[in-house]
Order: sequence, then structure tokens, then C-alpha cells
Amino acid sequence: MRRMLTVGVGLSTSLVLAGCATNAPQDTFQPKGPNAQMIDDLQKPVFAVAGIIGVIVTVAVLYAIYKFRDRGQPIPEQTHGKPALEITLTIIPALILTVVGVFTFRTVFDLAKTSDTEMIINVTGQQWWWEYDYPVQNEYGITQPIITSGQLVIPVGTKVMLRQTSRDVIHSYWIPALNGKRDAVPGRVHLNRIEADEPGIYAGQCTEFCGLSHANMRMEAVALSKADFAKWVAGQLKPYTPPAENTLAKEGEAVFVNQCARCHQVNGMKRADGTAIIAAPDESVVSGAAPNLSHLMSRNTFAGAMFDLLNTSCRKDVWDADSESFGAKYLQGVSEDCLNQSDLRGWLRNAPEMKPMYVNPELLSSTGGKYRGMPYLGLTESDIEKLVAYLLTLK
Amino acid sequence: MWFTLAEHAVITAGEHDTGHGDHHTSTGLSNNKLGMWLFLGSECLLFGGLISTYMLYRGRVGEGPRPSQVFDIPFTSVSSFVLLMSSLTMVLAVSAAHKGDDRNTNLWVTITALLGATFVGGQVYEFTAFYNEGMGFTTSLFSSSFYVLTGFHGVHVTVGIIMLMSIVGIMKRSKTPGSKAETVEMIGLYWHFVDVVWIIIFTLIYLVPA
Amino acid sequence: MAIIERPPSTEVATPATPSSSLGALKRPVSTTGWKSWVFTVDHKKLGIMYSATALFFFIVGGLEAVLIRLQLAAPNGKVLNADLYNQMFTMHATTMVFLFVMPMAAGLANYFIPLQIGARDVAFPRINAFGFWAFLFGGIFINLSWFMGGAADGGWFMYAPNSGPVFSPSHGIDFWTLGLQITGIASLTGAVNLITTVLNMRAPGMKLMRMPIFTWMQLVVQFLLLFAVPVITVALFLLSFQRNFGATFFDVASGADPLLWQHLFWIFGHPEVYILILPSFGVISEVLPVFSRKPLFGYPFVVFSGAAIGFVGWGVWAHHMFASGLGPVSVAVFSVATMAIAVPTGVKVVNWTMTLWGGKLEFTVAMKFAIGLIVLFTIGGLSGVTHSVAPSDTQQTDTYYIVAHFHYVLFGGAIFGLFSGFYYWWPKVFGKLLNEKLGTWNFWLMVIGMNMTFGPMHILGLQGQPRRMYVWTEQRAGEGFFNLGFWNTFASIGSLILTVGVLLFLINIVITARNGKIAPLDPWNARSLEWMTSNPPKEHNFDSIPTVSHLDEFFHRKYQEDANGQMVQVKTAEQVLKELEDNADAHIHMPSPSYWPIIIALGLPVIAFGMIYSIPISIVGGVIVLFGVYGWAIEPSTAPDDDFDPPTTTKDVVHVG
Repeated sequence: MRRMLTVGVGLSTSLVLAGCATNAPQDTFQPKGPNAQMIDDLQKPVFAVAGIIGVIVTVAVLYAIYKFRDRGQPIPEQTHGKPALEITLTIIPALILTVVGVFTFRTVFDLAKTSDTEMIINVTGQQWWWEYDYPVQNEYGITQPIITSGQLVIPVGTKVMLRQTSRDVIHSYWIPALNGKRDAVPGRVHLNRIEADEPGIYAGQCTEFCGLSHANMRMEAVALSKADFAKWVAGQLKPYTPPAENTLAKEGEAVFVNQCARCHQVNGMKRADGTAIIAAPDESVVSGAAPNLSHLMSRNTFAGAMFDLLNTSCRKDVWDADSESFGAKYLQGVSEDCLNQSDLRGWLRNAPEMKPMYVNPELLSSTGGKYRGMPYLGLTESDIEKLVAYLLTLK
Repeated sequence: MWFTLAEHAVITAGEHDTGHGDHHTSTGLSNNKLGMWLFLGSECLLFGGLISTYMLYRGRVGEGPRPSQVFDIPFTSVSSFVLLMSSLTMVLAVSAAHKGDDRNTNLWVTITALLGATFVGGQVYEFTAFYNEGMGFTTSLFSSSFYVLTGFHGVHVTVGIIMLMSIVGIMKRSKTPGSKAETVEMIGLYWHFVDVVWIIIFTLIYLVPA
Repeated sequence: MAIIERPPSTEVATPATPSSSLGALKRPVSTTGWKSWVFTVDHKKLGIMYSATALFFFIVGGLEAVLIRLQLAAPNGKVLNADLYNQMFTMHATTMVFLFVMPMAAGLANYFIPLQIGARDVAFPRINAFGFWAFLFGGIFINLSWFMGGAADGGWFMYAPNSGPVFSPSHGIDFWTLGLQITGIASLTGAVNLITTVLNMRAPGMKLMRMPIFTWMQLVVQFLLLFAVPVITVALFLLSFQRNFGATFFDVASGADPLLWQHLFWIFGHPEVYILILPSFGVISEVLPVFSRKPLFGYPFVVFSGAAIGFVGWGVWAHHMFASGLGPVSVAVFSVATMAIAVPTGVKVVNWTMTLWGGKLEFTVAMKFAIGLIVLFTIGGLSGVTHSVAPSDTQQTDTYYIVAHFHYVLFGGAIFGLFSGFYYWWPKVFGKLLNEKLGTWNFWLMVIGMNMTFGPMHILGLQGQPRRMYVWTEQRAGEGFFNLGFWNTFASIGSLILTVGVLLFLINIVITARNGKIAPLDPWNARSLEWMTSNPPKEHNFDSIPTVSHLDEFFHRKYQEDANGQMVQVKTAEQVLKELEDNADAHIHMPSPSYWPIIIALGLPVIAFGMIYSIPISIVGGVIVLFGVYGWAIEPSTAPDDDFDPPTTTKDVVHVG
């Protein structure tokens, strides 16, 4: 019996493991930071115990089916139960669960610890993308607030506090390799602590159903060595350099100002008369926000991390990089050779066709005509050409 | 609101009238009375949910008036007292019904209904006054949850009044005196429940400061 | 109608025209044809109607499920667009929970509770009829939204503020909210009715601890409904008032707290889980002893653990909200409370296994489904324990792991239990045995299909695929042959096998209806009271009400210990039935059919329709309801004795209801 059990457990465990994908980016059993590690340490034994109990019950039932099948034996004794056995079999699971409960209690409070936080990032969800806002933290060189989207960039070995909220419906922030999920609820600020051990890129997904494009609301956390992180910060704080006169990019800047700057902010961009161009997404979008596109090409994704800015081979290069070389590759950003032209052009041509969003005027009566997502802009192919050239300058 | 009304009517005004006297039951309580108790148990959770919502939102007045700015506690105290008195007259009605005294039952049931109607009238007046002071249904979370809670209670009282009036009508058609005693008693249970709920609402909304 | 039953010799029910018109309409009197169904108050006919309607909705919900799996069979699926997909998963859950499992359990309860406790009908037969019609019209009303601009798209949990008018501009959620109010009324009236029936109408000698376990579990369920339904009623009212009358209960800009909805929903929603599963626990606790030929092991433990689940089920709702940001204290407390509820659930599994132990097992299809439940439910229960551990739940919640968990619990648990009940009780209800051979295919295809569909979802979830996504992408699917893409396709194939399995059941029904084997009086050698009457039972259930002196009364009338302590058969089922017939009551007046239940129920969707489109329509609906209530109130539940033909003297008439 015991041997059967061991074999059973071993067999089913190896079956399950063999049946799994390798390198699934959102695997919940591949912790890459202390918070996720704490969860992993807790859940592995629980899964093991649950598996063993499952096998015991199944084997017991199968044995009973075999042993007590009707072979013409007389009608059995009409026993109504054995209280001693009942009580024992009630107490045993209760004891197991008590032990699990104690460890759960401890881990819950360990995970809730915030007093030793080293860095703060504000994370705001809206349909269907995440905004990251780094408040001024001079010790990291963040001398002005940095606002970015799509990819969360953090230094390794640093206890980062995400202060999460939402501008419309409830979303949930989840990078499985770094920590469990935590909802971003409008009107509330929820704290979520993450820390990465190694440089690298970690995938995640919005996990609270948030409407039409919930499936397309992805995120990536990028962990850089402390030195690389400082370089990234410096890059984000670089002042705006307008494209050179008489280039395609310069024409693209004009298209951008006409078509895009109403919602999308590019820090430091100025009109001919020298006044700053300030986006006012609150006039057109329900959530009141649109991704800030300053230094767009320092990120690898766009449209709520639904699409890559890097083409397939360059993306693979970054994702597969070892932790030593990862930082340098990531900091290269997106060059013209590496740009995912087809998705970016498709997006500019007709965004709602590429990502389901609420931009149909018939559906906007309840929002006073405001969109949820990026509308169809009716750009000409030459406009798109110019815009792409311009966006490539936003390093 | 119509739904609750239908529920009450269905459960309370309906099945009592089997017309065949008492059946033996396992608990000793008649089916009708047991059913009513169960229904009232369920109602506790309904008002529990509404009261919780109100307690959560009572401070969230937005641009609208605060509770203390609109409540007229002396007025509501008087109408609460009226409703409380109706429980007393309801007791008298039930007691007359058990004695088979249809005349007095009718009298006390009618008075109970009138007292209830006075309370509902007071509530209508109060709502109108609040509305005129700028507290509409959608003004603030406080106002919405206030109107929903007290409105639901008002509908319950109104359903009670309809049941009381109906039983007066039904008793007039009945041939044997005292045959509707159980129905009167059941309506009484409902009536007392609605009163008790009001006492809780009155205390929480009007007397305990936000 | 007036019915006279003069058992046992005459089986003729004689209709008579009512001598006087009480209320606005004269009573319906048909005993045959559609009118005998539409205006019936007979608990057995209503039970059949409940179950038939639920089965229809099971097919609807199943088709929705298949569409979902087809969409997810490959990356970037194109079968459904995002909008339609969101409607599909919302309605799949809504249909399966509110329009299939709940009413199917209600159908079984309606049919079998009176029979199991030795009663001739329920306590309030007209309310029973009203409950059925309210459920039917509510269910139709919710599904009307498909044809009126799109169904609800917020998920069955309908979290605020995503359910608000800004984020869901179609009328789908309005239909959903109001339709669920209507089915909620059905559940509430059903609960009052069945609790009263169980507590008050048991046969002499049937103490609570002699009640069949199915009745016990249903009693717990009805109490859960009694207290859970009003909570969701409040939540739905608040949502309706927000969507239709401009209130701001969940509008954050006005200062509302979106977590209010979550608390209200799950205070209802968690007891709801037990509302779904406990009836099936009851069914298999009947089936296992019958086919093991020995009593349920530890009957009192099963009863009390059922009641314990009922109680503790109220204290664990926030385990659906571990990621909502409740704060560590609440999370830890709810986490431990959730573990506590695993104990009474585990007790049941132990008792079922021990019931098999030492038995003389006969593997009928009903028994196969019951054993299937033990194993599959255990898997679902254990995966449930893994996410009672709050920190690990923050990894698993809202992933396919949870989808796997609750499908093992609800498909492997609730639905397998219901199917066990179908095969077990079919001969009782229709007098014919479902085909066992086809049933075996039905069982195995469902087992294989269900494990292929939901088994891989454990892997999908643990490897990071979230739920409620209309597409998945290869970028997040991992590498290797067994990547997430493989398992998605695998699950979709499984769902087709599952569909074939369920189809076989429908085919079995047709074949059985056409030329099924006529069932003997006691086809399974059963143990409880519902088998102590003919198949199908007479309208008045029992010719004379049996006096109960044992748990498993029927068995103990058939079998007794001989001198050696060995159980031997002393009477056949026919002989037991004959004893009851010999003492038959002379005249039994059953509750009389009525127009009013369906009329009142018809008013409800009209009111709801008006709340969405135009208030005057609501007023029309309100008038219909009031008219119905008026007619109902002045019409006695059982027709007066002098309406019966031939007239009987009051003295020798037994009145029911």
C-alpha cells in the first residue's frame, strides 16, 4: 500500500512537471524576487500535501470499488458508522490545516511589511494600460518626476513600493515572478512591494476583468543593475531635442502636434512661439489620461504592452539576454533597424481595429462623447511615414 | 419595490385562506406562521444590507446638504411615535381576533392602518421637504442611500396598510366569526417587524450623529 | 379544479366546475393537456417543469461554453470578438449558476422532499407554482438581452465600477440585474416554502434525525438561500438605481467605494457556492448507501457537517477578495476561516468512502456518477485548500487555476451529483428506466471530457494564464511541446468530448421516452420513503401516510435481521405498498389549480422591462401583479368541498395543503 502510494505520488508529480511548458513567462512557480520566493516557499509544501491527500483518497476509493464489488456476498451488516474513526479523521485534517494556517499567518504579515521600503513608484491603471510615475528621489538620481508606461523599470536588489490606484475601473497588477497580484482600485491607494534579484525582464498581465481589452492589458517589469538603472534615469531626464530642420522627422513633429499632442504629452516640446505644449487628455478620454510619449523609444512596447516596439529578432535578443548583458541591450532602446514597423504603422493607421476599444460614437452617449482608448485618426500614409520618423527620435 | 410588494402579498395575503381550519404540523406552528417567521428572517438581511450601505455612505454628502442640515428630529420623533402606537393597536386587534370579536378586530385593524398611513404621510411630507432643501435622490451618496433605506421601509409600511385594509374587506365576506384570527396574527407579526426595523433606522439615522 | 381521489380502487380524478366564481376568474379545471401543467400547483409537475427548464438552460449555457473554448483553442482566436466574448463568459456563468444548477436542484427538491418526508404536497402549493413561473420568466428575461442590443458583459460577479453605465453602455446589465431580481424572488419564496414543508409536514415518527439526507442537505440549502438572497437583492437594487435612476452608489467620482459591491456580492456569493453543491452531496448520500446495500456511514456526521458548512460558509466571503487590498489582518483571518471550512467538507468525503467500504457494490450509472463525484470533488476541494492559503492565492486568483478549481467542484461535484440523481430517480418520476448502457457511455465521456477540459486548466493557471481574456498570445505561452498553447487546444478538444457526453444523455432521454424499459416498483432496492409509492407516484403521493420508525424506513420494512444477525428480506416492495394501500384514506382533496401564480409571475418581467425602457410599461406590469394578488388572496388554496364531484361530507375528507 505504502509503495503504491509513493509510486503514485511520484508518478503524478513527474507527469504534471513533464506536462508543463518550459520558460512560461508568467509561471507562478518561478520566483525571481524575495516576495515571490516567500509565496513559493509557502505554496510548494501545501501543494505537495494536497497532492498526497488526493492520491490517498483516490486510491482508497479505487480499492473499495475493486474489493467490495458485488460478488454475490450477503447483504452487509447495517452499521451506521464508527464515531472514533470519524473523530480521528476529522482531527487529522484539522491538525494539518492548523499547521498550514500558522505558516500562512506568518507569511501574510511578512509580505505586508513596508517599513524597509527603499524606493517608491506610483502605478496607475486605466483602460487598458498602466502608467508609472516616479516621484523625485534624489538618491536614485530622480531629480524630476519621471512618467512612463508599458514597462516598469526598477533597480535590482531594491525594495520597491508600488503605490497603486486606478483612474476608471478596477485593475490588478501582477508580475508573477516578483509578487502576487494586488488590485488597483479607483479612489484607493493599495501598496504592493516588489523586488527583483537579477537583471532581466519579467512579464505580467492585468488580472482583474476590466472590460473590452482586458486581455490586451499587459505589463513588463524590467530590472536593471543599479548602475544601469542610473543610466536609464539619466536617459529619461534628458531634455527634449527637436528634430533637425528639413527632415522627415521634423514634418512628423508637426503632424504630432496637430494630431497627437492633444492627448499625448512629450515633455519639453514647444510651439514656434516658445510656449510649452501641454496635453489635455481629460478633455477627450474617460480616464483622463493617455500615455506620456517622452522617450518612447527607450521602451520596448506600446499600446498597453500589447505590441512590441522591437521586431521579433531584436525582441528575442533582449528577452534571451543573460543577466550580465541584459542591461546594456535594454538601454539601447529601439533603433530604426529594430523597430516593429508593421504594428506601429497599423496602430497609427487605425488603432481601434488593432485593439478593441470604446471609440464608436454610438456607444459614447453615456460618457459625453469621451473615448475609452485611442480613436481612428484618419491619418494619410504620408502622415504615418512622417510620424514614424518623428517617433524614432524620441529616444 | 414592486417586487417586494409582490412578495409580501403573495406570502402573507395568500396562503392563509385554506378555509379548513388547523392542520397537524410537526413543529406545532401553523405553516402560515412559520412561513411568515422565515420570511421576516430573510427581511432582516435585506434591511441589514440597506442599513450597512447607509452607514458606509452617510458622511459622503458631496456638494449636497449634511444630515444635520435637513433632519427635523422633533417631526420625525412624532411620526415615529405614531408608528409605535400602531403596534399597540395591532396587539389589540390580534387579541380581539382571537376572541372571535370581529367588530373590535375590524376597529383596531382600521385604526392601525390609519396610524400607519399617518406615518407614511409624514414620510412623504419629509421627503418633499428634503427635496425642496436641495436633497434630491441623486444629490449625494448620503441622499441616495437615505432615500433607498427609508423608501424601502416606507414601501413595507404601505404594503402592511394594504394588507390591513384587505383583511377588513375579507372579514366582511366571511361567514364564521373569528375565522381570520390567524391571518390577523400573521399581519400583526409583519407589522411589528416593520415597526422594530423603524426603531433601528430612526436611532441610526436620526439620533446617532454622523 | 376539483379532484377526488378514492384510492386505491378508483384512480379517476373527477373534475368539476366550480359552483361559484371566487375572485375575478373561475378556477381552471383541466386535468389533461397543457392547461393541467400551466395552472398546476402539484409539486411533482412543478418539479418536472423546473428540471426541464433547467435542462434547457444547461444546453444554452453549454453552447456558450463551447463557443468560449472554440475561441480559445488557438492563439488570437477569431470565433468571437472581445465584446461578444465578454458577454459569453458572463452569460455562461450566469446561466449555469442561476438558470441551471440552482433550479435543477430546486426541481429535485420540489419533487422529492414531500415524497421523502411522507407528505402529499408542499406547504404552499401556489407559492410553489409562482416560484417556478418567476424563475422561468426571469431566465427568459435575462436571455432576451441577446436580442436587444447585447447581453451583460461585466462577468457574473459584475464588479463595480465596470458595471456602471459609463463602462457598460448597452442594456445587457440592466436585463441581467432585473432578471436576477425576478429569479431571486423565486428562490426566496421557494426557500420559505420548502423550509416550512420540511419542518412542519413530516410523516408521523419522522424525527429530524430520521430524515433522508437529501432532504437534510436541501434544508440547509434553503436556509442559505433564505439569508443570502436578500443580500444580493440589495446589491442588485443599488446597481439598478445607479444604472436606471442616476444614483451613484458605485461611482468613485462621487465618493463611492467600489468594494461595497464586492462585499455585498460575496456575502451572497459564497453561501451561493454551497447552495450549488449541497443538493448534489444530498443526492449521492442517497445513492451510495442504496448501491452499497448499507446505511450512510456516520449519518449524524454528514448532517452536522452539512449544517457546519452552512454556518461557516457565511464567514469566508472575503477569500474571494485576497487581492482586493483588504489589509493583512482581514486577509489572515479569512484565510484561516476558509481552511476551517475544509474540515467538514473533508468529513463528507471520508463518510462517502467509508460507506463504500465493506459494502456490496452495484455499479449502476447512478452509482458511477456518485463515485465520480467523490474523486472529482476531492480534486476540486484540495485545489480549493491551496488557495485558501492567501499568499499563494494572490498568485492563483483570477487565473485558469481558479477556473479549474471551481469546475472540478461544480462540474465534477454539483453536476455529477445531479446526473447521479437523474439516473437514480428517473424511474420514480417517469416510470421508465433510463438506458444503462447508453448511460455508461454518457458517464465515461463526461468523465474523460471533463478531465480533459478542466484538468489542463490547473497547468494553464499555475503557468500564468489569467481568466476572462478573449485571446491569449503565444508570447506568454512558454516553450516546449506541452506549452500553454498545447493545453489550450487540448482543453478545447476535451470540451467537445464533454459535449458528446451530455448529448448522449439527451439521446438517452428520447430513447427511454420512446421505448424505455418499464420500471419495476423498486428498481434499485432503495431505502427511503419516496420509493414507497407507485412509479410515477399518484397525485396524492401516498394512499395513507406511513408512520416512520427508522432512518431508511423503506429498507427496514423490507429487510430484518434473522436469528444469526444476518439481514434477510422479509417483504417485497409490493407487499409494503399493499399495506399502505389497504389503509388508504377515503377522500383526499388536493390543493386546486390556479391561474394566479402564472399571472403574478408574468407581471414581474413586464415591470422590469418598463424600468429599462419606459416607466408606463412598469405600471402595466404592476397592475397585472396587483390583479393577480387580489385574485389569489380571495381564492382558497383548496377548492371548497361542495365544488367536488361527487360531493363528499366534510367528515371523511383529508385536506392537503
